[in-house]
Amino acid sequence: MTKPTTEVLIDAREVSKVYPNGTQALTNVSLQVRRGEVVCIVGPSGSGKSTLLRTLNAMESITSGEVIMDGLNVHAPKTNLNEVRTHAGMVFQQFNLFPHKTALENVMLAPMQVLKHTLDTARANAEKLLAKVGLAEKAQSRPSQLSGGQQQRVAIARALAMQPRVMLFDEPTSALDPEKVGEVLEVMKQLALEGMTMVVVTHEMGFARAVANRVVFMDGGELVYQDAPEAFFSNAQHERLRSFLGQVLPH
Amino acid sequence: MRPENPAWRLLTVALVLLIGAGLYWATIKVNYQWRWDRVPEYLLMTGGEEVLSPVDGTVAVSGKQIILTPLLGGEPQTFPQIDVVQVSDGEIVFANNTLGKKAGVTPGPLLVGLWVTLQISAWSLVFALVLGLIAGLGRVSANPAARDMAAIYVELIRGTPLLVQMFIVYFFLGTVLNLSGFVAGVAALSVFTGAYVAEIVRSGIEGVSKGQMEAARSLGMSHWQAMRHVVLPQALKRSLPALAGQSINLVKDSSLVSIMALTDLTKAGREIVASTFSPFEVWFTVALMYLVLTGALSVFVRRLEKKMAHD
Ligand SMILES: Nc1ncnc2c1ncn2[C@@H]1O[C@H](COP(=O)(O)OP(=O)(O)OP(=O)(O)O)[C@@H](O)[C@H]1O
Ligand SMILES: [Mg+2]
Repeated sequence: MTKPTTEVLIDAREVSKVYPNGTQALTNVSLQVRRGEVVCIVGPSGSGKSTLLRTLNAMESITSGEVIMDGLNVHAPKTNLNEVRTHAGMVFQQFNLFPHKTALENVMLAPMQVLKHTLDTARANAEKLLAKVGLAEKAQSRPSQLSGGQQQRVAIARALAMQPRVMLFDEPTSALDPEKVGEVLEVMKQLALEGMTMVVVTHEMGFARAVANRVVFMDGGELVYQDAPEAFFSNAQHERLRSFLGQVLPH
Repeated sequence: MRPENPAWRLLTVALVLLIGAGLYWATIKVNYQWRWDRVPEYLLMTGGEEVLSPVDGTVAVSGKQIILTPLLGGEPQTFPQIDVVQVSDGEIVFANNTLGKKAGVTPGPLLVGLWVTLQISAWSLVFALVLGLIAGLGRVSANPAARDMAAIYVELIRGTPLLVQMFIVYFFLGTVLNLSGFVAGVAALSVFTGAYVAEIVRSGIEGVSKGQMEAARSLGMSHWQAMRHVVLPQALKRSLPALAGQSINLVKDSSLVSIMALTDLTKAGREIVASTFSPFEVWFTVALMYLVLTGALSVFVRRLEKKMAHD
């Protein structure tokens, strides 16, 4: 794929996370993401993929370690979390579109509220973004009138509207009907081609193989192995990775 | 679903008629004299409204205008448009003497009472919604002090009878702060209804999926921005039926303000019954008037719900 820069955009160092109920979700996870890089995170259910992703934009607090995003210490007490989050767009498995607003309004809301864009600027931007994800003609539709794939594409446009430096995806296609997966992956691929920095938790090994610069394997709250896709998917040495790939890849 | 047998509807009609006949028979048993012909004048008075002198004083009459100069000093009061003047120039009148009558149709005591009930209910509803919204947000707040205060408010109010709260507000706060019956009534009803509105708002907010708040926060919106633009609009929409029920309750609960020096619909009914021998007619009429009010309210809310479901 496109060549990432050498500049580190996200630097997670020795991050550990224990949930209030005592679950140890992350243990000393270190992950670097360079500007323009696409990193896919894979691993079995409950391995801490979502938790890791959510610590990157402070949707989840951490127990120890630190996360530096573009020079900003994300989890430092003085950090303005709202500012951190404007720099990191997040796309959820369940889309989470605002049901009481049209597609266009979904995309316009945060730029107007947070970035204080005027109505006209926000609308012009939103229209451009909806066109980019192929939904220009659905601008006035409510989420309930859209298919899952269309909703997820609106959600991507909504996140892009904040002009983020990185996009975080948490299993963006897992809640979709199989025939709708392609249209969402296509939009993500396009983003990657444009040089967007992306961290993608996914079960779509085909996407990881084709689009990622690096694939990360998590298991039991640890970052077990990471490599370029070529090497990652042909790796035969690592025991846990091999057994995981054996389960998810077609034989 | 199977089509309903229309015979059931006939049974309903028959049962209602039977109950009506039973009531009628019971009134005959106690030799009750039905005087429905009197009821209209409690609603609309055609005889003209009497104008009473508020204080002792000397009157000066010029045409249809009466000027009353109080005997104990003070500003002279002017009464314009007295169609039938019943005092003469220079006469000394005492408090509650009749000065004259205004011609035409004037609202009778029941309509005046209805108007008072309507005003009290409307003001109380506005304040109860504001109070309930604040307390409801307090209930789901991350701040423990806000959460506790809201919880104490809700529990105290819901755990005590409205009538007792009315007595406290009227006889204690009302005396200390020198509140009028109207203000005291609105205050008591607002505080009471606000506690129920708070619970409705809270459960409305809790009913909105967590993902909504998360998505809004992930876009960099503050907690309050997310609440105001994303969670609350959805929560209030869900709460509308419950809020409608609560506002209907409010109209009915407002009848308790009749313990205060305030002539609402219920108090008006009581005053009429005290001076006539038609309790049944009056109370049936009063009940019907409440029913019209609450009925109109529920029709309005149903319209609103339909409209909101569309957009
Ligand atoms: N809010 C929470 N409170 C307590 N424990 C949690 C919470 N969220 C996740 N966990 C636990 O933390 C661990 C990691 O969860 P996480 O959601 O990060 O896994 P995941 O790799 O994303 O799994 P999946 O593929 O099923 O989404 C799991 O054991 C999970 O049960
Ligand atoms: Mg997950």
